[in-house]
Amino acid sequence: MRLSRLLTVYGIAFFVFVYAPILLVVLFSFNANPVNMMIWDGFTLDWYRLIFGMETEVTKSSTYVDSTPQLYAAVRTSLIVALSTTAISTLFGTALALAVARYRFRLAGLYRALLLVPMIMPDIVLGIALLIFFITIGMNLSVLTIIVGQCTFLISYVFVTVSARLAQLDSSIEEASADLGASPLQTFRKVTLPTIAPGVFGGALLAFIISMDDLVITYFIAGAGRTTLPIHIWGMLRRGIKPEINAIATLMLLFTIAVASIGLYIRSRRK
Amino acid sequence: MSASAAPLEIVAASKSFRTPEGGTVTALDNVSVRLGGSEFVTLLGPSGCGKTTLLRTISGFESLDSGDIVIYGRNVTDWPAHKRPVNTVFQTYALFAHMSVGRNVGYALEIAGQNQRTIRSQVGEMLELVGLTGLENRSISQLSGGQRQRVALARALAAKPQLLLLDEPLSALDKNLRQKMQHELKTIQQELGIGFVFVTHDQDEALTMSDRVAVLAHGQIQQIGAPEDLYKRPANLFTADFLGESNLIPVEAAGGTAHLGDGQHFPYSGLEGRGTLMLRPEELSRAAGDGPALAFPGRVSARYYTGKDYQLELASETFGALQASLRDDGAVPAIGEAVTLYSSLQNLHVIDEVVA
Repeated sequence: MRLSRLLTVYGIAFFVFVYAPILLVVLFSFNANPVNMMIWDGFTLDWYRLIFGMETEVTKSSTYVDSTPQLYAAVRTSLIVALSTTAISTLFGTALALAVARYRFRLAGLYRALLLVPMIMPDIVLGIALLIFFITIGMNLSVLTIIVGQCTFLISYVFVTVSARLAQLDSSIEEASADLGASPLQTFRKVTLPTIAPGVFGGALLAFIISMDDLVITYFIAGAGRTTLPIHIWGMLRRGIKPEINAIATLMLLFTIAVASIGLYIRSRRK
Repeated sequence: MSASAAPLEIVAASKSFRTPEGGTVTALDNVSVRLGGSEFVTLLGPSGCGKTTLLRTISGFESLDSGDIVIYGRNVTDWPAHKRPVNTVFQTYALFAHMSVGRNVGYALEIAGQNQRTIRSQVGEMLELVGLTGLENRSISQLSGGQRQRVALARALAAKPQLLLLDEPLSALDKNLRQKMQHELKTIQQELGIGFVFVTHDQDEALTMSDRVAVLAHGQIQQIGAPEDLYKRPANLFTADFLGESNLIPVEAAGGTAHLGDGQHFPYSGLEGRGTLMLRPEELSRAAGDGPALAFPGRVSARYYTGKDYQLELASETFGALQASLRDDGAVPAIGEAVTLYSSLQNLHVIDEVVA
């Protein structure tokens, strides 16, 4: 009885510890106090208005510099990067997972291990390595280098997710398909792919979300011209914590939850 | 396709596998079989005897090291699985979980490019055949084990195979359902008039269902024949021992008479020298009968009731433990009781091998 009460307290404390900072950010994004966000000064939507380029008290001040276009550009870059890397890493990650699961070849274990390394590699090492690599081969830093660079580790995430699904797959269903007259391509399209689809979809979702919020590696390989949303926010922070950062963070949170929820919903409907 | 061609001919098939330790295992050692007409043939053997490998080389999932597979006169040895005119019911059923029952059953027709109406009527027909009428729209996860088994059967049959291969399809079912399915499979086979090749390690199943049984061991066919022949006249000790219970008693034959170790003898002309007399438990009885008989005095060392009879273990004076099954006539001897069991001299079978 006493132990269970202790566990309840522990459980609550745990979730407070994890979620309180996030809830504070959401709360602060509605705080009207423009100078010290720790002091509640009434409810406002001004910070949201601000990032959507609408007129507020702040924009009327003579010292205000409008950064909305840069913010939008960063969001656009992030989306372009995330969609491209998701497509590429899903394709390659799935193909790799199928190859490693299907074919017995020499050093298969080493091959599998090498595919997992990018996931545990320190971001900063990967960032530096990619930067040096791109400079060495004479590639100018651009959106392209961000996409190529992020794919190097996103492929690993898709590989792991799809591999887990493939491990549960009864290989005799592919034999059954062939047995019933389906060519290897038909078997892949009608049996293999639909069966591993939840894994592929989950991998794609993971790749998209990780790409959207990667800061460290992208920071190294983004170059001066193009910034992604996390880099933009980081830049804003360096000039002091402004209240609109809370609003941006809240919107990103909302977006991520929405994407993950849609994913989970689609997965649950497939079953 | 010539009319006289056998549905299936396996000619000198050999196959070996490499083990992870670097050795080789011979799964098939120069196996030849020929199936006639619309036969129900069972490949029977202990696990690892090569029966599943043989089935998989027929379906095309394994290739042969040497030898040929001929189906209705066409040599399909080098054909990929999806081009062979055979279909398989898998041990694990291998149903497509992302498709409905109807789409599973209609899969082969869908692949063959049949129109929706044909597929629907064929699927309905097949589901009726296996007793699952109206379950087209169920999902696989909603089915019981027995129903899945039937869907797997309907799916394979919907492809209109010239030969149906069944890889231990009943092994996951409980005993009652199993017996029911055994009868149904046999009925369906007779109704469709196509050849069935059935793999099992269950001897009762093999004897019940088959027109012919091929007993496999060590990658070779030990004996092939009608269930009755195999049971009553096994060609070697392996078959005698694997099919049912048997008492194996050393004999020595000379000049048309076979002698047992204790001096008893019976007329037998098929053998000269040492051999083994095989007595099935049900051939032993308490009464000597009218004619001459072999007598085995001893003491009952164990007694089991099976429902239809009593299984006795007799510690005999000269031949060690003997197994007997006795009808429950109200006078079945108790454990420890001294008793003499008799076997008529009619239809005694001697195997030309010596018990180790």
